[in-house]
Amino acid sequence: MWTYEKRLQFPVNITTPCPKTASLIISQFGGPDGELAASMRYLSQRYSMPCKEVGGLLTDIGTEELGHLEIICSMIYQLTKNLTIEQAKTAGFDAYYVDHTTALWPTAASGIPFNACEFQSKGDAITDLVEDLAAEQKARTTYDNLIRIIPDPEVREPLKFLREREVVHFQRFGEALEKIKSDLDFKNFYYFNPEFDKQFVKK
Amino acid sequence: MGHREKLLQQISEVSFTVNDLTLYLDTHPTDTKALEAISLAIKERKQLLQTYADQFEPLTMDCVCPDTNNSTKSHTKYGEQKHFTWADGPLPWEGGTF
Repeated sequence: MWTYEKRLQFPVNITTPCPKTASLIISQFGGPDGELAASMRYLSQRYSMPCKEVGGLLTDIGTEELGHLEIICSMIYQLTKNLTIEQAKTAGFDAYYVDHTTALWPTAASGIPFNACEFQSKGDAITDLVEDLAAEQKARTTYDNLIRIIPDPEVREPLKFLREREVVHFQRFGEALEKIKSDLDFKNFYYFNPEFDKQFVKK
Repeated sequence: MGHREKLLQQISEVSFTVNDLTLYLDTHPTDTKALEAISLAIKERKQLLQTYADQFEPLTMDCVCPDTNNSTKSHTKYGEQKHFTWADGPLPWEGGTF
């Protein structure tokens, strides 16, 4: 069950619209390493996670990612608010405008629509946690790339906050992986699937 | 920064403390210092959410109380008329922020 809290996790107050910037940061909404993929990745993986604490961590991080999705969408919304026809024709935004006007629709900056193949839920605790660690790093790199090319401080500040959260999540997933390994045979952590071959998990 | 924005910033800051400590405690469930810190932050957050809902719109469904919410009657079209206060206030992506 989820409840909604009527505020953003980090404030978004963008006063200068810029459809070009919107067409870039939309990748963190519906792109391969975006917030939608992140939340769906963790919230899907948690059910079969053999360790209760790690299932709880996936729930909490997956929930925070939904809040990040809201921050990114708010940024795109404000960057494309009250556009003139000239602004709508901005290269990089014009094709999106034709299909969605200024509504929010999850897609990568490169134009590829959101696709569940952008994340994995493999049913092996070690496989999934290594995927999660990589996912946080990939998202961090994407934020690095965005921050490098976007000069507007009103856009940069929320992006910097989101980037920092990727670093914290990476740390927590690293600890979760160590926790899973501590329940396994130290002679060979990777020999069995702890989600399926449960007889090899220490109780 | 007005009173509303100041309160919202305080809520944002203490909520972040709760959120970040939650993730830390997920992997360090017996850290007594962190447990103390989160208990304090949760208590402060509850009080701030209540103070905010009394003066402005409720931010969570648990804070909805048509008789006591939004004493300043801000961002509502109903004025003194009894109504569902959950819809009061600006939307978070429409400047409902500090």
